[in-house]
Amino acid sequence: MEYNNKTIKNYEDFKPQLESIGRYGYFFITAMVMIIAWGTYALYTQLSKGQVVTGMRDYVIWGIYDANFIFFIGISYAGALISGILHLMRVEWRHPILRMAETITVVSTMIGPSYIFLSMGRLERVWHILVYGRIQSPIVWDVFAISTYLIGSFIFLYLACVRDLAFMRDHPVGVAKWRNSIYKFMSAGYRDTPKQRELLNQLIDLISIVIIPLAILVHSVLAWIFGMTLRPGWHSTIFAPYFVLAAIYSGTGVLIIVMFVFRKIYHLEAHITKNHFTYLGILLMILGALYGYFTFSEYLTNWYGSVKWDMEVLYRLFDTSTYWWWFFFSAFIGVLLPIILIAMPRFRSIKTIVFAAMIAVTALWVKRYLIIIPTLETPLLPLHDVRPEFASYSPSWVEWSLTAMGIAIWLLLFFLFSKFLPIIPVVRVNSADERDYFKLRKLAKERILRRMISKTRRDKGPVAGMLILLFLTSALVCRAEDPVHSRLKLEFLNKSGTHLLTAKLTSKKDDQTIPLEGMQVSFFIQGVKDKTLLGKGSTDEAGKATFTLPDKLDVPRNKDGKYLYSASFEGNKEYQSSESSAEIRDVFMKLTFSQKDSAKLINLFAVEINEKGDSVPIEGSTAIFYVPRTFSYLKIGEQPVKGGHADIDFPVTLPGDSVGNLPIIAKFEDNDNYGNSEVSATMAWGKPLPPMVIIKRGLGDTNAPLWMVYTLIVLLSLVWFHFTYAIFTIFRIRHLGKAALQEENASSATK
Amino acid sequence: MNDNNSSRRKFLKLGLAAGATALIGAGGKALSAVSGPEAGGKETGEKVKLLSPDGTLVEVDKGHCHSCPATGKEARQGIPNKKMVMVVDLARCRNARKCLEGCQSMHHLPPKIEWIKFFLLRDSKDTSPYWFPKPCFQCNNPPCVKVCPVGATFKRTDGIVLIDNDRCIGCKFCMAACPYSSRVFNWGNPGQDALPEGKKYSPETSWPQKVGTVGKCDFCPDMVRQGKLPSCVTSCPNGVYFYGDKNEDTVTNGTETVRFSELVQQRAAYRYMEELGTEPGVYYLPPVNRLFDYKVGFQELKPEEIDLYKKEANLSE
Ligand code: SF4
Ligand code: SF4
Repeated sequence: MEYNNKTIKNYEDFKPQLESIGRYGYFFITAMVMIIAWGTYALYTQLSKGQVVTGMRDYVIWGIYDANFIFFIGISYAGALISGILHLMRVEWRHPILRMAETITVVSTMIGPSYIFLSMGRLERVWHILVYGRIQSPIVWDVFAISTYLIGSFIFLYLACVRDLAFMRDHPVGVAKWRNSIYKFMSAGYRDTPKQRELLNQLIDLISIVIIPLAILVHSVLAWIFGMTLRPGWHSTIFAPYFVLAAIYSGTGVLIIVMFVFRKIYHLEAHITKNHFTYLGILLMILGALYGYFTFSEYLTNWYGSVKWDMEVLYRLFDTSTYWWWFFFSAFIGVLLPIILIAMPRFRSIKTIVFAAMIAVTALWVKRYLIIIPTLETPLLPLHDVRPEFASYSPSWVEWSLTAMGIAIWLLLFFLFSKFLPIIPVVRVNSADERDYFKLRKLAKERILRRMISKTRRDKGPVAGMLILLFLTSALVCRAEDPVHSRLKLEFLNKSGTHLLTAKLTSKKDDQTIPLEGMQVSFFIQGVKDKTLLGKGSTDEAGKATFTLPDKLDVPRNKDGKYLYSASFEGNKEYQSSESSAEIRDVFMKLTFSQKDSAKLINLFAVEINEKGDSVPIEGSTAIFYVPRTFSYLKIGEQPVKGGHADIDFPVTLPGDSVGNLPIIAKFEDNDNYGNSEVSATMAWGKPLPPMVIIKRGLGDTNAPLWMVYTLIVLLSLVWFHFTYAIFTIFRIRHLGKAALQEENASSATK
Repeated sequence: MNDNNSSRRKFLKLGLAAGATALIGAGGKALSAVSGPEAGGKETGEKVKLLSPDGTLVEVDKGHCHSCPATGKEARQGIPNKKMVMVVDLARCRNARKCLEGCQSMHHLPPKIEWIKFFLLRDSKDTSPYWFPKPCFQCNNPPCVKVCPVGATFKRTDGIVLIDNDRCIGCKFCMAACPYSSRVFNWGNPGQDALPEGKKYSPETSWPQKVGTVGKCDFCPDMVRQGKLPSCVTSCPNGVYFYGDKNEDTVTNGTETVRFSELVQQRAAYRYMEELGTEPGVYYLPPVNRLFDYKVGFQELKPEEIDLYKKEANLSE
């Protein structure tokens, strides 16, 4: 394969960098590796101890990890947007800076998301997102968006490298053989045949078209993580475009710095000229102005509206004791200084442009910090915590170390990449060769659609890992003290004809009544002479022992027509003995329902049994009516019984079950004669309970609203369709390359 | 409802009596959640271990266990035909914090983890401050549930918002989304024991808490299944919390049982920051005719905490 002189000359400039690392290079790598090692230790600390080792607490739940996350995704815009747009506009001067921009994208998109993992409490459960993922959550949008974006930017970078990889294959480096085999493998058999050239140009155009909306989407989704909450300072409609703009701003800034650094260390003055800096500088200035405009608009609106919470965040930003200087730097210096430095031709030089870019990039990191922290320090309810570390955030050494580690990895990857491939494309494409991307649609229609293979396989989610269960050992604390006083209370209960005795055993501890559990209580009835034992029961956790009386008692009633019941607790080492008794006259109660005109009534009929065993209508005692509910009894009325009758209105407005069944209880309560005697009956006059409505789809439900599912499917398949096409075409290029090679060999053989 | 004190004694009696009958458990349909052999249910011979609220392990036959905390899918659905609500009577609160103590001992939480928070709110400079205890509001349009990426926090048909500690990935997005600061994070190891062997984790008990996951007030669905009130309700000495099933139109604070609709209508109940559209399941009764001066609430606090409260409420003295 032939290369023109210019290409060879270009390559000469890079050969030394590709073939040796150099003294400074080794020094740099060692320094970075040390930082990374330190960061790994910090990571180990966090993983083993949990996030206590960070400065984050219940109010400020996200810290610099998340600021770093936004920051790195932000600078990844350099490649996606800037190189995408410059490429599509066929800007002539773009070639030397495209690869740097695209590398920034790939490296940053690899580093950025790892900060999200760091800010997660359970790193080992990330796979839950795949198994249980809910499309309603912006985090899941983010997972889809960022992973797609990462793959897209890989493809984009790769496509732009194919020509150089082919060149490197044809011009092996002298140091390591393995590198040459990588070049060979990765160059995908590219031999610059007309067909291959056409396909490659087409692909690069296609992916730069796809990558632009994708990048915008990624940062919008990121902004929506904040925008979708109800927090002051976050819940803003302009957040998505604001983030996108801030991202391009910082991306351009980083690109300028990277250009400067490589220009310096690799002596690329011939390739990267002052013009590059000026053009990008002007782009930076315009973006800075737009960013300033968004910032102004955001804060002006908040201030003008002066909603309490918005104001609290603003106060924080404008208060010199909190964030004013930071805010001043990020919103004033970070915008105005770059604009002034670049706008005035008098100041405009490579150094000032790079300085402006550095200011912009730092200001934007600070801005991300200011987006997250002050808002979290201003919850809607007062931030009430006396623990200082809860009330305000300051990053811990772990967080700083991991931030440093991220930057170190970023630098290291970038450096290593520049040792692998020339950081500036050596094989330049003739602009005339590049196909017009508007023809793409036609092409796609004609050739590709037919050949697309749609084959999806659905994987079953991984089987959830089993938790190792451990024994719970509970120690019983034994107390050996003097027996304390105990109290027994006997109650008689007539529950719709079943007669029960309950005795509640309690004691006092620290002025609080505590129930005694698991104690033996004996129940007695008074006969003519002595009391006879009826039975025994042991107390439950509420301190109650229950005994069901037989239907017929062999003991005669006393002269008042009453039975005398008693209960006793014998006492033990801890508690003294106690006793209680109750004198009860039997009653018979009946509950019926009647309807007179529109009035629905509950009728209670109650008689007592006198000493002779005859029934006598009850006179004067008050009957109370209840409806039993989950936790307790709802009183619906009370009525003195006259001539054995008491009537009250049925509580028709009270909800019953699905048909309106409402159990009613009529009761004599703590009555001197009858104890607790009650009768119950159920009537379907209550309000029927409407059937439970289970909403299946919604933001807060298990399944996402359909439009969301469709949008996601459409977006993802659109993007992935193009990615698949790209990969497919790469293989085609490879195939064509093999054919071309054979032809070449054949022709050289005939010669 | 306005003369709480005069009717108090009567209600107290009722509470005891009601408790007594509830335990017998042979009562009406509504009490069928009460466990125990008397409550019916077939013996299956299969035993399940239950952790009682005081931390002891009891063994019950599975047939009786319709009151066991639900696990798995069932725990995500909710108790059928219920809709739990709470009404907090601000007029009775004196910042005694007994509810928090009850909550912490019931959930075996260390003192530093607080699922109920206390604020001294003051709506404007001319009005008087009042104590504002705040559990999770169990919002009916819960922002926290919407944003969870893995469905580890979910809304149930009975109105309760729960957290599945086995599923939570600790992204804390729900904490950012909750406008009421209701969620707390287990930054370090919360120091709770592991589950006893053979017992399945139930989100209904919110126990054990795990490092790196969120926790919050859970409205005690495990207690509801047993027909028992949450611990905050029963430990409040002033009867501030009323809890109950909206579908039964009844709430109770353990001693008083009242109709929910009457209570919220007659006492002009409101939901905190209704304007956020979160539709909380917790209602507040305005702090009118208060039982205590707000200063009573300072009694058991540390000086620095009093200062903080005063600062928040703009109290200068
Ligand atoms: S109060 Fe907060 S945590 Fe509770 S349901 Fe509402 S949003 Fe969720
Ligand atoms: S912290 Fe847990 S419960 Fe909260 S949103 Fe993340 S995964 Fe869901």
